[in-house]
Amino acid sequence: MSQPGLQVQHVTKRFGAGDTEIVAVRDVSLDVAHGEVVLIMGPSGSGKSTLLLMLGALLRPSTGEIHVNGVEVTGLSERRLPDLRLRHIGFIFQDFNLLSAVDVLDNVSIPAQLAGARRRDARTRAAALLQALGLGHRLGFAPEQLSGGEKQRVAIARALVNEPDIVLADEPTANLDARHGHETMRLLRRIARERGRSVIIVSHDQRIRDIADRVLWMEDGALRDAVAMAADPVCGMSIEQEKAVIATWDGRTFGFCSRGCRDEFLEQPLQFVLPDPAPPEAGAGPLPPPGGREIVSQPAVPR
Amino acid sequence: MFRLAVANLTQNRTRLFLATSGAGVALALVLVFQAVFTGASARLTAYIDRTGADVWVSQEGVRTLHMSTSVLPSSVVEAVRSVPGVADAVPVRYATDSVAVGQAEFITYVFAVPERASVGGPWRIVAGTGALQPGEIVIDRSIAGTAGARLGDRVRILGRDFQVVGLIDGTSSLVSSVSFVRVEDFVRARGSGDAISYVLVRAQAGTPAQALAEAIRLHVTGVTVQTRSEFAAEERQLVADMSTDIITIMNTAGYLTGLAVVMLNVYIATVARRREYGVLKALGMRNGRLYQIIVIQALITTGLGLAGALLLTLSLALLLPWMDGLLVLSLDRGATVRVALTAAVLAVVASLAPARLIARVDPASVVRRGTS
Repeated sequence: MSQPGLQVQHVTKRFGAGDTEIVAVRDVSLDVAHGEVVLIMGPSGSGKSTLLLMLGALLRPSTGEIHVNGVEVTGLSERRLPDLRLRHIGFIFQDFNLLSAVDVLDNVSIPAQLAGARRRDARTRAAALLQALGLGHRLGFAPEQLSGGEKQRVAIARALVNEPDIVLADEPTANLDARHGHETMRLLRRIARERGRSVIIVSHDQRIRDIADRVLWMEDGALRDAVAMAADPVCGMSIEQEKAVIATWDGRTFGFCSRGCRDEFLEQPLQFVLPDPAPPEAGAGPLPPPGGREIVSQPAVPR
Repeated sequence: MFRLAVANLTQNRTRLFLATSGAGVALALVLVFQAVFTGASARLTAYIDRTGADVWVSQEGVRTLHMSTSVLPSSVVEAVRSVPGVADAVPVRYATDSVAVGQAEFITYVFAVPERASVGGPWRIVAGTGALQPGEIVIDRSIAGTAGARLGDRVRILGRDFQVVGLIDGTSSLVSSVSFVRVEDFVRARGSGDAISYVLVRAQAGTPAQALAEAIRLHVTGVTVQTRSEFAAEERQLVADMSTDIITIMNTAGYLTGLAVVMLNVYIATVARRREYGVLKALGMRNGRLYQIIVIQALITTGLGLAGALLLTLSLALLLPWMDGLLVLSLDRGATVRVALTAAVLAVVASLAPARLIARVDPASVVRRGTS
């Protein structure tokens, strides 16, 4: 059985003590497979950010363990954490948080240099990444010259430049308009699929449910029951698995929002999904084939 | 990290300009004061350096011109002349006095040497003559220029009036100058009789000054013998010792001002970028690397300030003597290196408070903002 990208075991975080003690995160367990996108939603103050901080090795849990690619983060000394964050975790922030004094290329290449790459190599790698994200023509631009969507793509490139095992995104679409928000969501999904990264997103944005393999609901510091979600491969709508109209093709099961979508799919399925998908890795959870989405089985949105 | 530090620094050019200007003015204060002191010191020893004597003989225990009185019997001159290796020995009478030119008064070292002496007389006459008649004097050109005196004007010195017949160049500073009168005028004014102040000795060709000084020490008793360089060094040291306190105060003021300016600038720049530093920490940058960025910024600010200070000091060194002959600035390499090293240390010290600020930046704060 292959190792999950991220493994969270009975993690609890308490602040204060005695009468003033607050339990921000309560006995959370979670496995995120390579290539999986997990969205964590929940009301303000539910503990999402605290959980994200712990997943990013920026905050130590009071109890429990967190493993990133098999390495127990919670057991590492304080001195080793920056290196872990640098090489194994990619951060995408709500406010982009680009360095205002340097250009786009340096914003992405600096973390690579910090990780030990020569400046020339780091810049080459950063340029290739930015090119792939459609920012090849913006390399020498200052962050302030970019649109919100471009800034977020730079931030995504920065998060990926050291090829981390997991990518943590904190409200990645909060400061973006609808078009750029969709663009960012598609990009996060591509990152998970094509690069095999575990992507964990904390957000209030319902639109992100469309690209998530799992949607987790957090409330009062704990993950609650949620329903399995599926994405309609025809219209892209996110639907509860139990309520989906089901069809099987090429040995795989697909969920649809309506019979109309199902019929349209069955008429010409190759318009919507690719044939011969690679079998899912044992233990890695159900991964969709390139270009299409399968019904997922993990719990997601609370009932 | 150097590029990031430079980019951080140059992003706000107005602040960089103000910071480097502030540091530059503060360091210029140190450099200019140092240059004024060095220039004045050089002028103080102008007579020793330029008059042509290889060895100086003075009263026993007397090692300087300044703040000293050397009295020797004239018989010492013959005793010195008899020493092997001596080409010539010239008796010099010397006093420190003020020369009054009109309403202005200037401190001057007054020398009197015999006519046609091979050493000890005026060496760079730029106007008039150095061959003095009774009642005549040679003074420094800058003093004459400052006081508006010309050849033929009368000045008062040693309690008597003298007529200016010659002007010498390169001996005046804010604190001294050199003047020459005839021996009989000096003796009449001072009532010193046969007593002389120093014996200036010229070595025979091929005789090293050090060896000659040693020979005189062996042959002539009751005197102090120094080579020209030893005598000049003693003179400079005496002036340095007398000026140590004021130099220390001025330098400290300059350095502290520079430190405050650089520290304030780097601190403000760090506060302004606290969130970005938090992002870098969240991404995995260690505190040590962040400190490097801060130190580089402080060093660059100080370095630019120092460059500006050097430029300003060199400009003043060229302009001031042209505007005021008494103010001579001389920037020596040793002093410049000392100021540069001290400035570098101050830059590192200036980085301490911002580094402390950086150390306390919580990278988690970058994530906490805006989410629950």
